[in-house]
Amino acid sequence: MTHRIFTIALFSLFAAGAWAQPNTTTSTYVPGVTYQQANPNYPIPNPFYFEGRIDWNLLKITQPGNTWEYMERGIHEQDDLDDPTDAIADYQQSISMNNLTNKTCQLVSVAPTGPMNPPPCIFTVRLRLAGLLSATKPQQAIELYQEVLTIDPLHLGVNAAIGGVYVTLAQNATDPTQVPGLYQSAIAAYQAELALSPVTPLETQLTTDTANNAHVHWALAQIYLAINDPSDEASELNLYLQATKWHSDTYPWRITLAKKRLATAQAAEEARRRAGDHH
Amino acid sequence: MYRLVPSRSVFFLALAVLPLLGQTPVGGPANGPFNNQDYQRPQVCMPCHQRQYDELRSSVKSGYRNVSPLFNGLEASANFLNGGLLRPVYATSTKTITLGNSSIIPFTTNMFTTPVFENINQIRAGFCLGCHNGPYLTQGEGGTTHEVPELVGTGTNFVPEIFRPLRDYHLVDSNGNQVLPATIGGDPPAGSGPSPGAAGITCDMCHNLQGPNLERSLLGDGFANNSNDFNHTIEKVGPFAQPVEVKDNFHVSSNDQAKISYLRSPAFCAACHDVRVPAAAPGDLQHLEYDVNSPNKSVTTFRLENLSSEFQLGAYSSTNNPFGKVIRCQDCHMSKFPYAGNSTYQVGDLSITSPTPAIFFQNYAAVPGVATNNNFPLQMRSVVNHHFTGVDVPLLYPSELQARLGADYPDPYVPGVDEYGIPLALAQRRQDLLDAAARISISNTDATAQLGQTFTVRAECVALTGHRFPAGFSQERTGYIQLTVTDDNGFLLYQSGYVVDKPHPETGQSQPNGDLDDEDLEHIHAVVDPGNHDRDPAKPYPAGMTSNAGHTNQVFEAGPDDGSDSRVFFGFNEGLVLFRNELTKIFLPGASIGRTDASGNPIVATRPHYEETFSAALANTVDNFRSLQPLVPRTFNYDITLPTKEELAEMGVESIKTPLHVHAQINYEHFPPLFVRFLTRTTGPTGPSGHDLGLLSEQRIEDLLKNLKSIASADTTVNVEE
Repeated sequence: MTHRIFTIALFSLFAAGAWAQPNTTTSTYVPGVTYQQANPNYPIPNPFYFEGRIDWNLLKITQPGNTWEYMERGIHEQDDLDDPTDAIADYQQSISMNNLTNKTCQLVSVAPTGPMNPPPCIFTVRLRLAGLLSATKPQQAIELYQEVLTIDPLHLGVNAAIGGVYVTLAQNATDPTQVPGLYQSAIAAYQAELALSPVTPLETQLTTDTANNAHVHWALAQIYLAINDPSDEASELNLYLQATKWHSDTYPWRITLAKKRLATAQAAEEARRRAGDHH
Repeated sequence: MYRLVPSRSVFFLALAVLPLLGQTPVGGPANGPFNNQDYQRPQVCMPCHQRQYDELRSSVKSGYRNVSPLFNGLEASANFLNGGLLRPVYATSTKTITLGNSSIIPFTTNMFTTPVFENINQIRAGFCLGCHNGPYLTQGEGGTTHEVPELVGTGTNFVPEIFRPLRDYHLVDSNGNQVLPATIGGDPPAGSGPSPGAAGITCDMCHNLQGPNLERSLLGDGFANNSNDFNHTIEKVGPFAQPVEVKDNFHVSSNDQAKISYLRSPAFCAACHDVRVPAAAPGDLQHLEYDVNSPNKSVTTFRLENLSSEFQLGAYSSTNNPFGKVIRCQDCHMSKFPYAGNSTYQVGDLSITSPTPAIFFQNYAAVPGVATNNNFPLQMRSVVNHHFTGVDVPLLYPSELQARLGADYPDPYVPGVDEYGIPLALAQRRQDLLDAAARISISNTDATAQLGQTFTVRAECVALTGHRFPAGFSQERTGYIQLTVTDDNGFLLYQSGYVVDKPHPETGQSQPNGDLDDEDLEHIHAVVDPGNHDRDPAKPYPAGMTSNAGHTNQVFEAGPDDGSDSRVFFGFNEGLVLFRNELTKIFLPGASIGRTDASGNPIVATRPHYEETFSAALANTVDNFRSLQPLVPRTFNYDITLPTKEELAEMGVESIKTPLHVHAQINYEHFPPLFVRFLTRTTGPTGPSGHDLGLLSEQRIEDLLKNLKSIASADTTVNVEE
């Protein structure tokens, strides 16, 4: 009966042309008018609402109240306000409330059957914070990325991001003795990325692709160029060209450059081989 | 003899309305004092409502949708996965359901007829038909044959080999008796025509409305999954009070103000234009909703289509928008829009010029001289049109449309305009509607750049739609930014939102063919498993498992334009800006994700693994916030690195010629080709049914998948400093 009264009220409003604004503060639920905010049936989000980004204005809050809301405000600050400083602070606050150390989150190893306490660890906030810290606090960024790999070891892009941080560390290293190790760490991370989506015979059958992850192969080629390893550089350039055959690149000039460099690397490798034969 | 006042009509209407004063439009199908009347074909309404008939007939929701190869393929694919559970059950069914408390109840109601859901299979039953043919799920409950029969075997008893696509049942012979194609999924038999259900959303589907059904709507709000009640009588609800008497009382035009107001409101549209998918809850790994009316909140769902909720939360659902009044669904989809002139207004820092909504035609609501007794005169009114223009265009050739829907079915690409100057072609109306959907500016892009350094392009986008953009089946409907940066010589320095012509051996295209509309964007490379027919028919059907039904990703890897996930999850300013919501499968620990590692061993999740899926039936959660909010501009940054002088030298390029030219445009993709190719394969001869259901093919994709380029665009230049 209550529903009917509300419905009649709703229809009366429509009939009179007196459209009410949504999101009113009244606690009375009127279907079609005071949807969601005032609907007592609308479920309260659990602490682990969803991985990803919501439009901050839709939450209609000024002060975050839980780990997910701090993450979302951080995303808003990073994406919409171009304010990485406040974003970092909110991401850190979010992680402090969703943290293995203080047992406010957990790694999920068996299929859950219902609500979990503590809730699962969130990966989005860690990826976001790592990205913002990668230039200024690269080691902390790598730790955050590695935390994500414990949350979801199959998540694409995380290993590549780690590889990118190691490359930056190598390029900026003041101690030259550290450079080879940093590049090796980068190579290992990039190889781990490739291992997550190998080109299988089935893929080749379905798509004709013989390589994938063009940007990873490009990054590896750059590393091998930097450490003067023309053999591996040539191999990676070749894979890069295979990977871009049917997919091009966001930087299409790299394809031209890769072909030039492949020729150069192969020539260098051939020269090296001949020199080895000669000796 | 004309009478100025229809005194007799008013008198009888008053008599008819008086008993309704205590009636509300809520509750079961209360038929009131009116005579029963079966749901009518639109052709029956045509003599008195020719204009409305013609308009409705060329909309996708009336006719095309129910014979659409994509709709039929989607429904079939989901049935292959769950063992036929999306097909309706009826009152005569002998099936049962076991509830959470172990009690067993009869399974005799479907999504449209279940009073209160107790089990998710009641929502699954007739899930697609429940909206697309809702009232037909009740018609025939008295013992006559239903147009779409109940499957004898479902779940583990499902037999995919005898499974017919829905549209096989939408055919009748010249006597009106149902006829089936000679082979499953075959062509319509000679001499056959469309069944009543073939017409999809008909006149009666809207004008027989009774009101929202709050008990059957999942959140008690009248939203989603056809949570409307319909009457089954001669009472037809129109938009006007005080209608005149209908000739020979063929029907009664309702004078129930509550029903009239409901028909005119966005709330009416909300009953179908939110879709919530029944799903078992994967623990606490994302926010799930549940049916508030179900016992112990045991019926869980996730949101698929969220269009009406988006409207409710958006600016056009209030007066706080550029037009200062609520802009209803009807104001854009049933008005002159977008053919009634333009308005200019400010949204944030963007100056927008776009078509003006809520301008209507003046016309008669029915055909004068035909629709009333004694040629009683009709008055000119502000009337709506029934084109219901949206974003789809048929994936059927005109001859196929006419074979299934009647020889007079309009060609979606027919030239010409109607009496108001509105294009007759559905395809042109779709183009014009989408041209009004969004705007883009890149004026805040960095003014200068340097070789070897990164500069930032800032693409500010705004949706002008009443809902988000895209909306509806927004996990497949796709908007995106295509961006290029070239130097003054045309040297291409950066591209995003591009496609590459390539072979598609999985559906028989061995070489590139010059068609780009059938190419996927390059943010991911994915191929969806179509399933197979390699099962032992002597064993129970593996319902709920992907072993025969597929649906998992056979190929899933990041592409060079990876931007959608890297922007959302990593916060990186690079790669594709994709306005497409994302269906997600959370693979729980122990689940195989459907691919193998380099050694050929199945990859098994050890922790919850989130992965985009292109199957709503496989998904167990969704991200509905990747589309653009209405009237809330959002800026997407592209951090673009220019080649170094040394790299240019390696390529034999002396230098970059300044200025750089940045071009950005918003494109609209019909459907992701990989999604259509999945449906092609899963309904093909090697799919679970073992034969071709006659729905989709590579040729159909190439011929009829139509993307729209540059529905909005912007340009700027950037100076290069060495």
